[in-house]
Amino acid sequence: MKNSEKKKLPGKMIILIATGAFLLVLLVYYSLLSALAPSRKRAEIEKSIGPQQTSGNNKDERVYSDSAYNTLLKEKSFLQARISMAETDSVYMVLNIHDSTASLAISGVEVHTAKIREMKISRILRSGNEYLISSMFASPMNIVRDFATIRKEPLMIKMAPKDTSEFKPDIIPDTSDYEPVNYIMEMDNGVRIFIYQESDTITKDKHELFYFDLKDRMKNIWSSIKSSARFKVPEYHPFIKIRLPKADAKILYRAIPRQGQVAVYM
Amino acid sequence: MEEDKIKSSGMQPEDFQSQEKDIKPLPENITGRIKSLYLKARENKRLYKTLQISSVTLISIFCLLFVFLFMLYIVPGLQELTSGGKTRFTADQELKKDTNYKKLTQLLVKDIQRLSKKYSSYTPGQSYVIINTTDNRFFLYRNKKLIREGFCSSGSYTMLKTEGEKRWIFRTPKGKYWIQGKITSPVWRRPDWAFVEEGLPIPSKDDPSRWEYGVLGDYALSIGDGYLIHGTLYKRFLGMPVTHGCVRLNDEDLEAIYNTLNIGSKVYIF
Repeated sequence: MKNSEKKKLPGKMIILIATGAFLLVLLVYYSLLSALAPSRKRAEIEKSIGPQQTSGNNKDERVYSDSAYNTLLKEKSFLQARISMAETDSVYMVLNIHDSTASLAISGVEVHTAKIREMKISRILRSGNEYLISSMFASPMNIVRDFATIRKEPLMIKMAPKDTSEFKPDIIPDTSDYEPVNYIMEMDNGVRIFIYQESDTITKDKHELFYFDLKDRMKNIWSSIKSSARFKVPEYHPFIKIRLPKADAKILYRAIPRQGQVAVYM
Repeated sequence: MEEDKIKSSGMQPEDFQSQEKDIKPLPENITGRIKSLYLKARENKRLYKTLQISSVTLISIFCLLFVFLFMLYIVPGLQELTSGGKTRFTADQELKKDTNYKKLTQLLVKDIQRLSKKYSSYTPGQSYVIINTTDNRFFLYRNKKLIREGFCSSGSYTMLKTEGEKRWIFRTPKGKYWIQGKITSPVWRRPDWAFVEEGLPIPSKDDPSRWEYGVLGDYALSIGDGYLIHGTLYKRFLGMPVTHGCVRLNDEDLEAIYNTLNIGSKVYIF
């Protein structure tokens, strides 16, 4: 009886160790594939908008790594992007990372500006090839989808009274500002812009932000796992994370249309 | 030395010894107890199995949690570390002397000047008004300078539904508009929703009950599609989203805007 018990235990242990080892191998495999994703993205960008793709290939190669030339190029790209958006009558967003401002504009008129309190930018955008970055942001980015903790349009449904006896005059609307304001905008070129309300907020808001962030991370993990299962390098999304005062973050989100445009100056 | 210690503590040597006995064997007692507990647990097969299962479950949960957290937080961090490859930037003096380089940069500078001029030309030199519908505030500009700001009321984002399929959404449109008409002593022609909202039957288009006097203030400025900038009787609601889509102002602000803006002046709503 005792002998059989002793025999059973190592078997269980082997299963446990094998499961652990398998998990570890999966984890290493997943980590390796994920680690490869940024360089893959970089190669993709280079392939689509790299120097060899742009016209005027007779330029001296050294020009592309010259800081003075790249600074001018970035400025030109930023202006081009803003002019292109100004041609429409719609509201658009301008993120000036250099000046730490996030603003809204309509047809070239700046209608609202907010100071960026904190920012965190993907390394690929921060320390990548400036020529590539300026080419990437030369045209405005289009928002393809967004996720937020607040509603874009705080629509309230009111049923019409059947007759005058049911009619109640409007009461004062509830304008109390209790909703935490955090949102993520996904752009057509794969860049993700995270706008969070600034951190000196109440604990409830911090919890909301934690769950919002967790939900987004889980969503990304799921798509990465799916890619890894198909032996594909998961998609990498360069990001710009900024924190704004709550009121400004709300104004920006409510004003920008669902398929709105964004220009970025790094 | 030890005797001195005992004296200073004011204890009898026997007391000290008994205390020392109490302290020193304690770890042995604990290990002994654990051992005896373990033996007892081993004897009690059910308890042993329960303990075994619970410890394996705990370890598994811990491992899964680790894997989960690793994927959630460590892997994205790892991606940031590996996305490296800092590009080297040069300030090559030879390149700066190169005529082609000079031409290129001069061309860029010219382009930037041209584009800057074009972009700044979008801001109207004449008067315009900016309306912030989230904060319900307005900003009046003349010659690109802010001359007046204050509270206003904009669309309430209410959807009025009837039992039938009819519905209206009371929102102020966003974007660029311009003043299409200026009216003094405006009269409000009540649309269908104004009757539906109060539970009244909808009258015919030319019914006199549709006309209401003195509710829009002294002036109204039309921005198209039936939307107006006008006055209000409900001044306590200024700064709140309460309207059916129009922009309401108090009497003084409305007069200032009426006198500053001309037909064709831009209205930027966001």
